[in-house]
This record gives sequence, C-alpha cells and structure tokens, in this order.
Amino acid sequence: MIRSEKNTGLIFFPAYDWEISPTHPERKERLLYTQDQVLEEGVLDIEGIKEFKAGLADEHDINRAHFCIPDVSSRITPSHNVSAGGCIEAARLVLEGVVDNAFALVRPPGHHAMRVVQGARGFCNINIEAVMVEWVRWHYPRIKKIAIVDTDCHHGDGTQDIYWHDPDVLYISIHQDGRTLYPGSGFPSEYGGPNAAGLTLNIPLPPRTGDEGILYAMEHLVMPVISDFKPDLVINSAGQDNHYTDPITNMSFTAGGYARLNEILKPDICVLEGGYSIEGALPYVNMGIILALAGVDFSYVKEPDLDPMKLRQDPKITDYIQRLCEQILAMWKAREELRPERKPFMERHRSIFYDTDGISENQQEVYRYCDACPGTFKIDSAASTGYHILGVHIPHRACNACRGQGLEWFENPDRRYYTVYLQDMDQDRYISRKV
Amino acid sequence: MIQLMILGIDIGGTHTDAVCLKGRKILSTSKTTTGRDLVDSILEAVDRLGIEYQGVTRVILSTTLSTNAIVEKKYAKTGMIVSAGPGIDPTRYFLSDAFHLVKGAIDHRGREYVPIDKEEVLNASRQMKNSGVECVGIVSKFSVRNSVHESSIASLIKDDFTYFCQGHTMSGSLNFPRRLNTTYFNVAVMPVQERFVSSVQEALSRLGINAPLFFLKADGGTYASSAANRLPVETILSGPAASMMGALALTDMTEGTALVLDIGGTTTDIGILLNGIPVFEPKGVDIGGLKTLVRGLKVYSVGAGGDSCVWIKDGDLQVGPGRSGPPACMGGPAPTPMDAFAALGKIDTGDSEKAIEVLKPLADDLGTDIPRLSTRIISIMVENIRKGALAFVDQVNSNPVYTIHEMLHPDIVRPQRAILIGGPAHLLKPYLEESLHMECEVPGHAMVANALGAALARTTAQITLLADTQLKRIICPELHMEKEAGQTLSMDELKVLGFDAIRANASLLGLSDDVEFSIIEEQSFNMVRGFSTVGRNMRVKIQTRPGILSEWSRQ
Repeated sequence: MIRSEKNTGLIFFPAYDWEISPTHPERKERLLYTQDQVLEEGVLDIEGIKEFKAGLADEHDINRAHFCIPDVSSRITPSHNVSAGGCIEAARLVLEGVVDNAFALVRPPGHHAMRVVQGARGFCNINIEAVMVEWVRWHYPRIKKIAIVDTDCHHGDGTQDIYWHDPDVLYISIHQDGRTLYPGSGFPSEYGGPNAAGLTLNIPLPPRTGDEGILYAMEHLVMPVISDFKPDLVINSAGQDNHYTDPITNMSFTAGGYARLNEILKPDICVLEGGYSIEGALPYVNMGIILALAGVDFSYVKEPDLDPMKLRQDPKITDYIQRLCEQILAMWKAREELRPERKPFMERHRSIFYDTDGISENQQEVYRYCDACPGTFKIDSAASTGYHILGVHIPHRACNACRGQGLEWFENPDRRYYTVYLQDMDQDRYISRKV
Repeated sequence: MIQLMILGIDIGGTHTDAVCLKGRKILSTSKTTTGRDLVDSILEAVDRLGIEYQGVTRVILSTTLSTNAIVEKKYAKTGMIVSAGPGIDPTRYFLSDAFHLVKGAIDHRGREYVPIDKEEVLNASRQMKNSGVECVGIVSKFSVRNSVHESSIASLIKDDFTYFCQGHTMSGSLNFPRRLNTTYFNVAVMPVQERFVSSVQEALSRLGINAPLFFLKADGGTYASSAANRLPVETILSGPAASMMGALALTDMTEGTALVLDIGGTTTDIGILLNGIPVFEPKGVDIGGLKTLVRGLKVYSVGAGGDSCVWIKDGDLQVGPGRSGPPACMGGPAPTPMDAFAALGKIDTGDSEKAIEVLKPLADDLGTDIPRLSTRIISIMVENIRKGALAFVDQVNSNPVYTIHEMLHPDIVRPQRAILIGGPAHLLKPYLEESLHMECEVPGHAMVANALGAALARTTAQITLLADTQLKRIICPELHMEKEAGQTLSMDELKVLGFDAIRANASLLGLSDDVEFSIIEEQSFNMVRGFSTVGRNMRVKIQTRPGILSEWSRQ
C-alpha cells in the first residue's frame, strides 16, 4: 500500500460521448488510454489520491471570463460546461482544503479561447482556466495574486488575451516557437498591457527542445519569476503536446520531464490542455503529473519505447535557451521600464481567426490607462458571421473613475451594435443589452 | 417437475446457521455455535435440522474459511513471479520475500515491448522451489490486454508446483496492484480450499448427502465447488452477501430502491438493493487491509448495534462505536441499547432489573430518569444509523461519471424503504421508520436470513471482452480466450460472442442455473489515427444476473 506525501484530488472527465467531429484529434477516445494506464497502475488506490466527480459551470461562471457572441449557449456544448465545471471543482477542493492540490483531467481544452468568443479557435470554445480563475477570485477574495504557467506546446494566446491588462495574474507560457507552430504568436515582445507590463511572459523554445531545455527554463526563469511575484495560487495549464510522440508538434519532451516540471513548479491546480499523442504520450504524461503532484516516486514512469539517446538535446539548442532565459529574466527584473508612456486612452487593433470554425474577426480595443486601478477597457468586435458587438470590462478593484467610464461606454455606445456586453468584476454582474 | 431440496449453511464467526428448503417451504432451520473445526460445525448444524438427507439436491456453503486463512496468514508458502515493465515501482507491492520481478513489458493495448527472459523465469522458479514455496502466482502488467507473458511463465514452471495461477484469470479488470494481491491470496488459499471441499464432501456423503456442493461468493452469487477450488478468493467476505441475499429472498424486493440494515451486536451493516440487485464495490473488496479485484457488495458499517457500549464523554451521552460484551440484562458488564429496551419493558427475555441497575448511574450523571435516558440511548443509536445510511447513499451518488449524458441525466439513488434484519431489528423498527421517514420491513425468518440467502442465491459469473479491430483481436481474460476480430465486428456481435462463451464455459465458471445475461459496462470507440478511422475499440462486461432462485421467487 502506497501513501502519497500530499493529498491530491483528481477530476477525470474524458467526455466519452463528445467529439468535434469523428476524425478530429479532439475525439472521444482521447483519454481512453490514459484512463486504462491510470487504472492499471492502481493510481486511484494510492492512499492520498482521490477521484472526485466533475461539476457543471453555468452561464454566469462563463460570463465572468468571456463575451460569448451572441450568447453562451450558442458558443458551447454541454461538454464545455463539464470541462470548465471540472476545473472549478478542482479549485474548490484545493481552496476548501479538502486536498493539497488537484488535477482537472478534463476535455475539451480551452487556452486558445480569448475574452471575446465569436467561435472556436484551436479546438477551444471557452477558456476553462480563466473560467476557473474568475470563479476563484469571486468566491475566495483572499486569493489576490494568481500565476498561470502554460506548458502546452502551443502558445496559450487565449489566456494571454484574457489577462493582458491584469496586474494580478501572471501568465507564463512555455511553447514551441511561434514561427514554427500554431497559433504563430507568443514572442517575448508580447509582455502584457500598460498596467500589467511584464506580467505576460512568453518563452518560445526551438523545435526539438527536450527535457533539458524545458527544465532549464523552469529552474532558471519560471521559478525565480514566480518567487518574485509571490502568487496565492499557482496553476499549470498542463498541455502534453511537447511530448516526443505528439503528431502535430516537434518537441522532444518526455513523461519523466513533465513529471519533473510539476515537481519543480508544485502547482496547486493542473488543468489538462492539448496533447494528441493519445496512446504514446498521454497515458504516461498524465501518470507522471499525478504522481508528481502527489509526491509519489515517478522515476519508473517511462514510455515503453523511450530511447533517451535519440532524444538528446542539441548543444546549440541548450545554448540558445540559456541566452533566451537570461534575456527574459532581465526583462522581468526591469519590467517597470516596459510600461509605455502615459496616455489617457490607448488603442489596439487586431485581426483574429477562428480556425476551428473558419470565422474571422476584427477587434478594436480602447483601454483607459489608470494609475489607481488595473484600468477599464472596451472591445469593438466585428466578425465575418455578421455579429458586431461591444464588450465593456470593468476590472477587479476598479476605481470610481474607471467604473464610471465603463458604465458610460456600456450605457452610451458611440455607434449601433448588435449587442453591448458588460463585465463588472467587483459586482459579479454580467449583462448585455441590444442597442 | 422434481422440487429442489436445498441445504443452505452460513458459517459465521460466532454462529453457524442452517436452513433446509423445499420449493418455497422452509422445512427446518438450526443455529449452532461455530467450533474450531468448520467441517464439524457444518455436520452439527445439519444434524440439528433433523431432515431426511437422501432428498437433498444441492448444498450451499457460506464460509469464513478463505477470509480467516488470509487475515490470519494461515496458508502455504506462496511465491510470485511478476513482470511489470515501466510504471510505479512494483517492489512496493510485494507481499513477501518470495516475490520475483522478471523482465517483460506490455502496453495498454496489449502490445509487447519487452519479452520474457526464459532463463530468468526458470531461475526464479528454482529459487522458490528450493525455499519450500508450494503455491505460485503469476502476474504481468496489462495481462488482461495480452496474457502471453503470464501464460509463457506458467508453461515454464507448471511442472515444479502443484498450485499456480495466472492474474488474468482472476478478473478482466485493469488494476495491476489489485491483480497482484488477488492472485497472491487466491493461489495461497487454494490448498486450504481444496482440502476443505474434499472433507466436506466426504463428511456429507457419510450422511448420505451426495448432492453437488456450492459456495457463496462476495458478490451474492454462488458457484460450484470445482470453480471454488480454482478461484477460492471469490468466497472472501461472503457474510454481508449472505445477509443481503437473505433480505432479498425474504422480501421479494425486485423493484425500487431499498436500504438493507443488518443490525447486529456491534455494528449495523448497510447495503442497497436497486431493483432487486445489490450495489457493488466498483473496483473490488478489501481484505486484511489490502485491495483486491474480487467483486463484492458495497457495504457500509456503522458502529451501532444492540450491544454497543453506552457511555458519557464530556457530559454527552454516547452509543458505540465499541462493544464491551453482551448487554447487562443478558449478564454483560455494561449498559447497551438492549438494556434500554429492557428498561422500557420492550423485551421479554433478559433481566430488566439488571438493565435498570447499570443505567441508573448514567441517569443520575445526566440528571434524568431511566425512561428518558433509555429513549435517548435508542434515539442516539438510531441517529448514528441514519447518518451512516445518508453518508452511504451520498457516497454511491458521488461516484464519478465519464459521459456528458450521465453528467446531465444522473441516476440518483434514493431509497424508498428499508429492510431490517438481525437480532434487534423488530425493536428498532418504529424508531427507524420515524427517523428515516420511510417504511421499514422486518421479514419473518430474519434469524436465519444469512443461511437462507446462501441457499437461494443463483449461480453467477462475470466476463470481460475486449475487441480491438485494428489489432484484429478479441480477448476474454477470465476464460483465457483469444479470437480473431473481423474488421466489421459490431458491439452486438461481440455481446453474442460473450453470451455463447459463458454458456460454453458454464462448468468452468461453476454455473448451474438458467442464466439471464446483463451488461454491466459497455464502451465503444472509433480509433482515429492521422485523421482517419483505423478500427474500433470495444469493451463489454457481461454478468449472469445475480438474484434469488426462480423456484423460490416465482411462487
């Protein structure tokens, strides 16, 4: 009988009756072999590791993180209610002290979903971590600072977008260089909005980076940054597609590497993101993460076909990563200098493509640069589907001036919109109205 | 039609109960004290029935034989040969020194990555033989997906040992550590079980009973003694199964949801019947602190019984969870709920003066009188049972589900009535009815419910089938069966194949009654590789429906 060092909660929701389409990578059998491996290894019989039932996130929970166009029910399936609900349940277990840490092994994933949801991007409809984070902030005001470390091979552009202006959420993404992989973003030059400069950190790694490189970045960059930031809650967006067997990426990470990463990071909550090597990677990576969270020896967890010689990292890659980490760490230390010059309002224009649904969108964001609070902003979004909307976000701990400005934008938009939406975080009020 | 004459015997820790049935008639019952020798106890219980032995057509035993052998570690020297491959360090699961880890790795789909090393196996076998090992368990990880390593090890060592058994034949479920425990215990108690079966058969035949012998399993079904010799571990913890099946036989509860409360001296064991079928432990039952793959009933024990000790802690009255002896009114040392009933004049037997005598100091301490104190004792006991029942139902309802359908349309267990068995059942009935807000039934013959449950339980078996049309394989671990799967194999065809396999292997499985099949689990997946479907992965678990013999329930 094995007793784990920590009490670890597991929310397993494989959604065996949901798929994007019968031959899509995000398919019914995706977590089948993970379940087989976890069951065969007797992981759930380890004293201290316990499985819990997922919950259901409702519209209100989803509206905390998103402007769903035209509304939540049009943009999601019940599977998203459960996968976001599974994350919320994982957070609840940790924050109520039922467990020390938890892993939401759920699907579908979410880290490509941005604040405005006109459709599905990168297999994601809603951002399940963000829905969880906002649920936590509303229900547990003692949680003030949150760090999200995204170890999916793809840049988590959705999570980056949602927390772009938020100085209380540190978002770090380690991923395959955007010049070689979807979604093509995630460079160090994307470091957050005016009031949150440096609080988005992108670490793009070259193709064929192995355990050595990713763990180097963890130890020499991510951990020092986290210990500076002192978060109240650490979340790992645990995508598993850095694995050497993943069919749609080019990295050389192993299950042992993923386990070690979590041993270093010690997240409070892990959330499964991508990872489509459903037979060769997921069963072993998930095992490794669960054992690492629980503090159980994972040194024997290995892929049966693992050949460490073949996966040895090129010394040139090692050098490159060392230099990259030094530069980003220097940038973090000097983050105050990253703040742009003060202007009352700042604008951003962006074009966003929803690859899963084939929808394109133009966004224009106006942000009120505030000294007293994180700053309110509004997003004008027009999609190829015809929906042209305005979303107004009044942030957590908004000052009176920002609250007034946000409400003014919401009440008196400067043109006609299909719908105008409001997120008022401190009031937990999410409303919309037709103009 | 010749009516069956059935002898059911439940050998419990303290009492051995026997019952003889013919058709729907209970011909005779007996209750004796379980002695040191179980065969003698059986003979004594049978003797007290005072029946004509020649007519007996079937004998069913519910015994603590394997349970005791395992818990008291009274079994032959047992060794294991284990191949694990990568994963959690398997040496952490080793139960004794005679565990030999050998090379070999199979993955979750049953593909071999590392073969067995013949020399290494033979070497382990020699070492075990030299150290006096009699029984050997053979287990490999994922053997229920591909048993080739277990069967090659078995064929290498089979001439060296009388008793050996392979993990995949124990159960088709995934769980390597449980497979290790189950196989170890099973092979360890094989000699004990075999000796027991032959001495019981001999003893019964001396009486003139030559009827086939059956054993009750933890899942509330029975199986023939030949199958029990092969899989003795299935008989562990058959006690709760006997009481649950007894409750089922005595009430004909074939519809709705019922709680079964077996109220004993020290504990109340709570079970649930869903449309006449008990609720099972999803992964398997625990024995001696170790987890197994043995399918058994889910039973929740509350430390509240008729003999629970009544005491005061920090000024608060407590009932249980321990027992310090029989009730004072029956000559015991300390107050119990039974004494409360005695003091209230609700029981005829026993010395109510004695009961009042031990309750008096408690009443004085709490500044109350005997009747009020007695009522409080009973209501605390009932409240403990109610809390246990609620926690149990909660536990059953919080089992994780894996599909959106089940998430949105959950099957919620809500008991509508309760069946009470055990000594104090009739006394507690009005109190429990009020507390649980449901109708409570105390069936007749509750005294021998366990023996009756054993006597009337149907023979059952369970198999698992896995079809992988990409690898062109169908395997059934329990039957050690492997077949080729055609590209177009459907779930319905797989089920029919399973039904046929159960019928064809009825004697191996120890089945004798007409079987009714039910599907416990069913999953089917398209296997997609590189944006195209390459095959189907189908899993199905089939059981023969547990329940009460139709000869009994039909009338």
